[in-house]
Amino acid sequence: MAHRFAALLALVFAFAVPTLARADQLAEVRSRGELQWCGDQEGGGPYVFPKEDDPSQVTGFEVDLAAKLAQYLKVKPRFMQGQWDKLGDLVKTKKCDVVLNGYEFTPERNEALEPTIPYYVYGLQLLVRKGGAVKTWGDLKSNPGGTKAKIGVLTGSAAATKMEEYCGESNALCEVASYDGGTDTMREVETGKLDATLQDTPIANFYAPRFPGLQPSGAPVGKGYYVMYVAKGESALRDALNEAIVLMTRNGELEATYRKYGIWDGAQSELGSISEMSRFFGLDKAVRADVKKQEMPSAEVVHTEARKHGLAVFKAYGGIMLESAGLTIVLAFMSFPLAILIGLGIAVGRLFGPRWLRIPLAGYVEFLRGTPLMLQLYFLFFLLPEVGITIPAFWTGIIGLAINYSAYESEIYRAGLQAIPPGQLEAALSLGMSRAQAIRRIVVPQAVRIVIPPVVNDFIALFKDTSVVSVVTLVELTKRFSVLSMSTQATVELMAMTAGLYLMMSYPMSVVAQRIEQRLGVSA
Amino acid sequence: MITVENLKKRHGSLEIIKGIGFNVEKGTVDAIIGPSGGGKSTFLRCLNGLERFQGGSVTIGEHKLTPETDPKRDAALLQAVRRKVGFVFQQFNLFPHLTVMENLIEAPTQVLGESVESARERAAKLLERVGLEKKHDARPKDLSGGQQQRVAIARTLVMQPEAILFDEPTSALDPVMAGEVLKVMEDLAKEGQTMLVVTHSMHFAREVANRVHVFADGFDVECGPPEALFGDPQHATTKAFLQQAGKG
Repeated sequence: MAHRFAALLALVFAFAVPTLARADQLAEVRSRGELQWCGDQEGGGPYVFPKEDDPSQVTGFEVDLAAKLAQYLKVKPRFMQGQWDKLGDLVKTKKCDVVLNGYEFTPERNEALEPTIPYYVYGLQLLVRKGGAVKTWGDLKSNPGGTKAKIGVLTGSAAATKMEEYCGESNALCEVASYDGGTDTMREVETGKLDATLQDTPIANFYAPRFPGLQPSGAPVGKGYYVMYVAKGESALRDALNEAIVLMTRNGELEATYRKYGIWDGAQSELGSISEMSRFFGLDKAVRADVKKQEMPSAEVVHTEARKHGLAVFKAYGGIMLESAGLTIVLAFMSFPLAILIGLGIAVGRLFGPRWLRIPLAGYVEFLRGTPLMLQLYFLFFLLPEVGITIPAFWTGIIGLAINYSAYESEIYRAGLQAIPPGQLEAALSLGMSRAQAIRRIVVPQAVRIVIPPVVNDFIALFKDTSVVSVVTLVELTKRFSVLSMSTQATVELMAMTAGLYLMMSYPMSVVAQRIEQRLGVSA
Repeated sequence: MITVENLKKRHGSLEIIKGIGFNVEKGTVDAIIGPSGGGKSTFLRCLNGLERFQGGSVTIGEHKLTPETDPKRDAALLQAVRRKVGFVFQQFNLFPHLTVMENLIEAPTQVLGESVESARERAAKLLERVGLEKKHDARPKDLSGGQQQRVAIARTLVMQPEAILFDEPTSALDPVMAGEVLKVMEDLAKEGQTMLVVTHSMHFAREVANRVHVFADGFDVECGPPEALFGDPQHATTKAFLQQAGKG
């Protein structure tokens, strides 16, 4: 009775502690001396994207913005890479302080997160191919050819919602294709696979020089607001950020930043009236504060350079690709031995263990094999903190891969162990060996020899599966490829480099495995 | 040495052994012959705790196996029984991932805690005794069947069991190889090794065994010294079986 009560108490505490421990995030930022802001470089320019001359660093108007915000809070900025659609989870679990990455102000997001006032007013710009059949919005309703026009959008974006509505109307002659990257669709329009794309104005403007075959059609439609999001209830941090946005609007810092990236347009004048209005919402001090209107900077303007080709791509990005391949190697080599150990334990437990242990072990295997690795990582990284268990991203990757692969490994070992004739165990037992000795010394070593080929196969598979860890903010080879290809459009060269690196890593393992097989005399 | 009392064994509804009991005296050789499916091998496996049984008991020295003996719970008891009684399998069951020498020293070093040097020394003598002194470093797969079975016998002997159970040790071998193995077994018998041998070799039963049992249909239908049993069989089953065996 007493210990049941204690267990209950422990459970209650496990859920209660995070709430008790919830400190004021602004105080946390100040004491840390760092504003950790998260975004996804894969979204590309002009938001957050790898620098052309040093791809391990990020640049973009949001990077500049974050630096200024940090200045107002008297701390240093630190960028944190996350997957775009998971940024809210990073904030919720306090892995970063604020999302600053083109997040549109939507009622759904406002339910889960705390929005700041807008820092940018975006529109949706239709881009069409010069000389293409579709030239205007009107062509999407009465396409003379009679075939449906294909419009590309970014998955989950406001543009996607808008386009689906439009093409859902009864007289519409268009269909929507969802893409994961912003500039993918622009390339597809240029090559003729899509007829048009609907883009947020910053992307459309920023990347215009990269896609000379495209032209804007009509004025932007569907105005919306980019806001920053902090965790629910963090009003102190939100207010501090709002104050900074008001001050930067009034003193011209925002305008200067946006002009630098070529994304200042008429719509931004609304920012002024918004900041004026915010005096009614507790920001009176910032609205009335004396600010020195900054002079326009001496036209420091960021332009996208011409698309790099061929060897230039290898030269510019080879280093960072190699570095990311390093992380892939570390992840694989640290997680796989763990997977082998856990898997072997499970297989032995299922075959030779007590009956009561077999069912949970079978459940473990089925559960992990039957659910996506991505979800498991998500659970470890974003849901465990809810019960007070916080594992750093790197270790989440290692543990997640190890646990997931242990299920596959255990099935391989189970097959291997079952392939050993029962006479082997009997012979060992009849010599007076204990069951444990017989399994460890006679059965397992023989099974290990049998399973080398499938295990190596699994290791190579794990090598490539390491790419899934980008969900927990790690940037390994595949994610790096996506990020760079999105911002540079040098997809072919980067793809060749990525494939080459994976091959260079996996082929030696096949060779080593063959050697081991020969040495152990698997045919015995 | 080994006392079996009224042993009964079932596989589901199929009765395999329907009540068999006898003693194996120290220093003697008992042979079990009889038609296939008569329960010979199963009987032998029950004696070593490789199979559970549903009735009767097996007493080996101070140890007693009963239907209640549980392989997990009574692991220590079974280990003690197996230390006293060795087992030689029809299919040899050598450990393929180990060399001949490693096969021999595995149990002494792991079970008895003997040093590798001492175990190797004893193993080398036994290998010489079974005529395989040149095969220390061979792998089982590189040996003939007869050689493998001789290694298996040496592997059993190295544990110095008080008795050895042989489960059709020559059935998987051609006559020449079977002869090599039977020679080794005959030598062991002469040295006073207690043995219980399930065999198809009428020659071995007649020439080496002190006593012969005929198992048929789950019973020990007839038993006695080989001269009497082969010379003047009493039971109809025995007569039929010997006639059949004689033809073969």
